[in-house]
Amino acid sequence: MLQGKHITFSYQDPAKGKTDVLADVSFEIREHDFIGLIGASGSGKTTLIKHLNGLLKAESGEIFFKGKNIYSKKYPLSELRKKVGLVFQYPEQQLFGRTILKDVMYGPLNLGMSEEEAGKLAKESLELVGIPEEYYQMSPMELSGGQKRCAAIAGVLAMQPEILVLDEPAAGLDPETKHEIFELLCRIREKRNNAIVLVSHHMEDVAQFANRVWVMYKGKIAMDGTPEEVYSRVEELEEMNIGIPQITHLTYSLIKEGVPLPRPAISVEEAEKMLAEILKEEKPL
Amino acid sequence: MIKIENLVHNYTIWKDENTKSEKTVLDGISLDIPSGQFVAILGPNGSGKSTLARHLNVLLLPDEGTVWIDGKNTQAKERLYEIRSRVGMVFQNPDNQIVGTSVEEDVAFGPENKNVEPEKIRRIVEDVLRKVRLWEKRKTPPSKLSGGQKQRLATADALAGLPECLVLDEPTAMLDPSSRKEVINIVKELNQKEGMTIILITHHTDEVVDADRIILMKDGKIIGDDIPKKIFADRSLLKRAKMDIPPVVELGMRLKKQKIGLDEPVLHEQEMIRKITELYRSKCGGWKDAAR
Amino acid sequence: MIRDITIGRYYDSESVIHRMDPRTKLMGVLVYIISLFLVKNVCWYIGCLIVMLVLYKAAGVPFGYLLKGLRGILLLLCFTFLFRMLYTPGDPLIQVWIFTITKQGILKAVQMTARIALMISGASLLSYTSTPKELADGLEKAFSGLEKTGIPVHEMAVIVMIAFRFIPIMLEELNVLMDAQAARGAKFEDGNILEKCKGVMTLLLPLFLLTVRRSSDLAMAMEARGYTGSGKTSRMYPLVYKKEDRAGYLAILIYISVFIIARISSLSF
Repeated sequence: MLQGKHITFSYQDPAKGKTDVLADVSFEIREHDFIGLIGASGSGKTTLIKHLNGLLKAESGEIFFKGKNIYSKKYPLSELRKKVGLVFQYPEQQLFGRTILKDVMYGPLNLGMSEEEAGKLAKESLELVGIPEEYYQMSPMELSGGQKRCAAIAGVLAMQPEILVLDEPAAGLDPETKHEIFELLCRIREKRNNAIVLVSHHMEDVAQFANRVWVMYKGKIAMDGTPEEVYSRVEELEEMNIGIPQITHLTYSLIKEGVPLPRPAISVEEAEKMLAEILKEEKPL
Repeated sequence: MIKIENLVHNYTIWKDENTKSEKTVLDGISLDIPSGQFVAILGPNGSGKSTLARHLNVLLLPDEGTVWIDGKNTQAKERLYEIRSRVGMVFQNPDNQIVGTSVEEDVAFGPENKNVEPEKIRRIVEDVLRKVRLWEKRKTPPSKLSGGQKQRLATADALAGLPECLVLDEPTAMLDPSSRKEVINIVKELNQKEGMTIILITHHTDEVVDADRIILMKDGKIIGDDIPKKIFADRSLLKRAKMDIPPVVELGMRLKKQKIGLDEPVLHEQEMIRKITELYRSKCGGWKDAAR
Repeated sequence: MIRDITIGRYYDSESVIHRMDPRTKLMGVLVYIISLFLVKNVCWYIGCLIVMLVLYKAAGVPFGYLLKGLRGILLLLCFTFLFRMLYTPGDPLIQVWIFTITKQGILKAVQMTARIALMISGASLLSYTSTPKELADGLEKAFSGLEKTGIPVHEMAVIVMIAFRFIPIMLEELNVLMDAQAARGAKFEDGNILEKCKGVMTLLLPLFLLTVRRSSDLAMAMEARGYTGSGKTSRMYPLVYKKEDRAGYLAILIYISVFIIARISSLSF
């Protein structure tokens, strides 16, 4: 659906000269993908996602959305902004509307829809993220932390994006609220049938939901595969200064100690299954 | 070190100019924290953890009940600064607590305002920057530091007040995993090497398996207060406090359910590795493993 | 554009100039600016430029930084140059349409532009070689006499320091907000004036809220660190004049004397 070819991008720093942030990145997001994008701070994650909806323009390379080059003169960028929704970190800090409903309608109205249409889309999105109707006319400031974040996500959903990109959507939330946000993402993907790109430091979060994982390192996509594939490469991930899930590290250490697990586990459930198989079975001597 | 009796704190919410309502954030907290203890406070957003922390540094005063720091009642206004200097605070967002335009300037800010002699300031600055391992970065502007380094700087700022107790209010909430580890390691070191009393507020249960004691809060009340082994073994209690079980503990409990011989809750990864390896070896015979 | 603003551009180095007391440097810049107004002949500016280059060299600040300092006021320089060149009466050299370029015009234009450029380079050198904290301390100490008249010099110095620290953070925040609203279809770059204004409105409220939150957090953190806003304070590095400063003041004295003597001895200059 969205395809990037040999993207490079650098910042001009007068003190140090040019610093490459993206170095020859190629990628493809397919329909209904759930991609977990991980990487240490400064690996280029945020810069990459700003390219996905054209907020930043690559120095070289091309990006195609459904086969059309987004850098061609005739391509309307506003169309891309609509199709690729971007939710930034701490999105609740970006709310500005007098009422929640008005805030969520902002995106659709910018796209040139009528009040009526925008209102319909906004209500539908708010319903999807689970904000009850009696809140619609309230100020965003009156919501709880988790609800505010959901409202901010609804603001992007109302534009009906086909790809939803979220930067650390669960940062700073308590564990339960965090789970709710991830469940919400799964629900959105099911209902809207769109693709999701989830940027996170925390591999634990990514492992459970994503069908693909991209690992960024020094401005490149260094790994691209299923969670199981990526998490098997423990040494490489550690070298890239990526905090691997404790359970992955534990099972990895067990393998090194000689316990014959098929590969490092990506979740507690999986580790349990693997270990139960080995430890329960009566081995004939 | 810290003693709290029946602490109540209410916030006033103004609906408009005339109507107001009160919300109870801390509802009868009683606590006794001896010197040198590493205490972790866990609880969901809005459970009153941060408000409690602010009482310990006398940034807030009780509506009811009493807080004693080192035997001194925090209500004693004339001794406010003396009491406050016993407890250092580190807040969630490092960017909102760093004042200086270089690392050492920032650490010096506190002592300078207390009119400490220049030479002593320099000694304190060097000492605390070495403790948080930022001495080499002393001339660096804070904007050039990573998140973990910034939070370590904020810790150094608190230490520069020469406190006996350090209260950290979700210091890792905005950090990536490797930065989180940096900060937690420093905190543990301060506790073990310096004997500093630590009160660590967090959402991350895996950070606090080494704590001496875990306090669970919900709706302004303490719903659990015990050693980590006991707290993490109580699934329903953790669920009530909306906290996750650390993955290692969770695995241990699941294996136990499957009747795989882990009788005691295991908190540490290393311990778990040892136990499972032992189990495995005893299962298939030591000689076979050696032959591999 | 807003996104390109940089501020607080200290250049770290261990030079003589960096070691000097900020008060010496403040005095130096003041004298340098006065000297630029004392002379009228453009040739003298070459001398001033050489002094400036020597100082940059002595401070170990690359010359690229000198130009960088000027880039920000490029528009002002061009405007000054054109304006002076076109609107100074005198002997006409060339006439284009309604504009007359005169010999005096060109001279005046060069003189004015050079003066502004040199002034800015001098002030930039000060900010390259002194941290905001040093500048604030220097100003505080230089004006400490005013404290008796009720002017809160110390508080003002703290405010200056905090501003230096937080302006870059606020700009960063503004950038994030602009990106976020642009992702929701706001038009900052393209679009007509009305659309741009509407876009700006969506930045103001969140920026205001963020600033309020930041300030109250910062106030609490400062309070927790024992800041009272009153009482005696001390410094980690108290400002004391060293031998570099004596040399500095001597150099400043010689420099300005040359200009004054030249001015008195030949009125034609």
